[in-house]
Amino acid sequence: MTKFVTPEMPEIAEIIDITVERPDTKTFTVRYLDPKLQKKFSFMPGKFMMVSVFGHGEIPISITSSPYKTETIRFTVVNVGNVTNAMHNLKKGELIGLRGPFGNGFPMQRFRKKNIVFVTGGCGLAPLRSAIYAVQAKRDEFGQVLVLFGCKTPQQLLFREDLDNWGRGGFSVLLTIDNPDETWRGSAGPVTAMISKTDMPLENTAVLLCGPPNMIKFSIIELRKKGFKAEQIFASLERMMQCGVGYCSHCNAGDKYTCIHGPVFSASELDRLPLEED
Amino acid sequence: MNYSIKKSDLPAFMQSLAKKSEVWVPSEGSSGATLFAPLGDSGLYLAGRTDFSPKFLFRPPKEKMFVFRKNGSSYEIHHKFDPTKRVVFGIRPCDTHALHVLDELFIRYYGDDQFYTKRRRNTVLIALQCKEACENGFCTSMGTSKPIDHDILFTERGSDFFVTAASEKGKKLLNRKFFKPVKDAAPTAEIGCKKQLETKSLGPNLYANFNHAIWKQEGERCLSCTSCTQVCPTCYCYYTDDGFVFGSDKDSERYRFIDSCQLQRFTKVAGGHVFRKSRGARLRQFVLHKLHYYQDQHGLQLCVGCGRCITACPAKIDITKIANEIQREALGGKK
Repeated sequence: MTKFVTPEMPEIAEIIDITVERPDTKTFTVRYLDPKLQKKFSFMPGKFMMVSVFGHGEIPISITSSPYKTETIRFTVVNVGNVTNAMHNLKKGELIGLRGPFGNGFPMQRFRKKNIVFVTGGCGLAPLRSAIYAVQAKRDEFGQVLVLFGCKTPQQLLFREDLDNWGRGGFSVLLTIDNPDETWRGSAGPVTAMISKTDMPLENTAVLLCGPPNMIKFSIIELRKKGFKAEQIFASLERMMQCGVGYCSHCNAGDKYTCIHGPVFSASELDRLPLEED
Repeated sequence: MNYSIKKSDLPAFMQSLAKKSEVWVPSEGSSGATLFAPLGDSGLYLAGRTDFSPKFLFRPPKEKMFVFRKNGSSYEIHHKFDPTKRVVFGIRPCDTHALHVLDELFIRYYGDDQFYTKRRRNTVLIALQCKEACENGFCTSMGTSKPIDHDILFTERGSDFFVTAASEKGKKLLNRKFFKPVKDAAPTAEIGCKKQLETKSLGPNLYANFNHAIWKQEGERCLSCTSCTQVCPTCYCYYTDDGFVFGSDKDSERYRFIDSCQLQRFTKVAGGHVFRKSRGARLRQFVLHKLHYYQDQHGLQLCVGCGRCITACPAKIDITKIANEIQREALGGKK
């Protein structure tokens, strides 16, 4: 029998490790059962995969691991819905389905020799982490690197070990907390306010954004105020998705499909796209 | 070569087809709505286009896609689709265009969607030319009043049908017992749609008027009932749903359901954020997807001008009225 190939068909992968990042967030390290598929696997930071939790459903999740370490694939998943909840109940050795990777990803080759500013809020750091790893792996090819990361509470900070590593490796890592408690001694306020307070190189710089719709909207406004041009800014959007290949039309943002044309758009594209359609 | 078949021979012809394949014909459904049904299930309806399009034969409202069966250390994935050979008799030109535009997405765009492609390849289309305009139709504006990608074309004329084979597959079905070769010129069918849609720079003009007051105004009347997307011959949006096979805690199955952009949950992401909260925004999504987005992405107009959404709308929202109003302002005196 010839193999049935259709874009909706998942391939099977095994969970080989689970890390608890914070009470509601876990990172799953997975590997295709078929070694040939894993060997073929490559991706651009910012791309996502459709992950099946059998019996529960299929959801889009961005890849959070390094594009230079493709012997496994990592997903950082916040427990917010039915499928993510079911995924959180999975154990090492259990199986999931994978399709993809899908989407355009960040145009990393265009960032070579540039300064890079990463701006992100909450679990938006998960997709950006892959791009940060990419920059870290080829540190000499990039200029100054800033990571601006905002969370609602100190408990919600993600990837503390990475944040420390990036800081030690010469990146300026700036954290801010919306609602700090007595344990927090760093900056307070939203990440968008931090943009205006922070010195950044304007020339020859690319800004990469990922976070909730309002964070993206106001970050772009602040960045433009500082003097960044729209074509220097790249944002990854979140949308409801059922297919990843342009079939289901849930992810339309204006005339673009987030799964095919995105999820990464430049701010000049976003000028013409409605972030909210009301 | 053209042929003719006596109207009185039509039932016998269809019966002969039914020996080798499923035959689906426009029928009077039990609910009072007209739709495609297996031959013999209910009365044949040839007076005009059906209330429901034959889209469901290729993209069913609900279909089982996969069964994931736990097998030792892996899963076996079984796919489910029905490859039965079928003949669809009496499909109208607008609906052949609807399949033509869906073929672009599901066959040519991202590799074959097997579920769709297999059904398309197993189906012979016998189109029936319309004699007169249907209620609310505007196919003449959309250039969809003549069929496309059909295998056979029937055109009614008095006591017989003038028949043209349009493909090899179609030609093989023209049994000499019923079909006589004719040398007559093909009958011309000029239908005069009462509704018209100005298509000049249509998509870009609508998109440029993304914030026009008409969306809110018409959206306020909308009931989010999804009738428009259910009757539309090209509405293909879907969602999938997984569940466990009854009686098992290991084997699961994935279903696909036709979805509707008119529902709030259509854009709802985990965490509860909804990207199109108002009915006006969702109505605009429907109209812009039909008249701009698809054309922009695939080079074909997704709306085929069948007018079903206008007929089905309980709030009497009319896609041509919305588009024409914006067009009148946009084109101004330049028309």
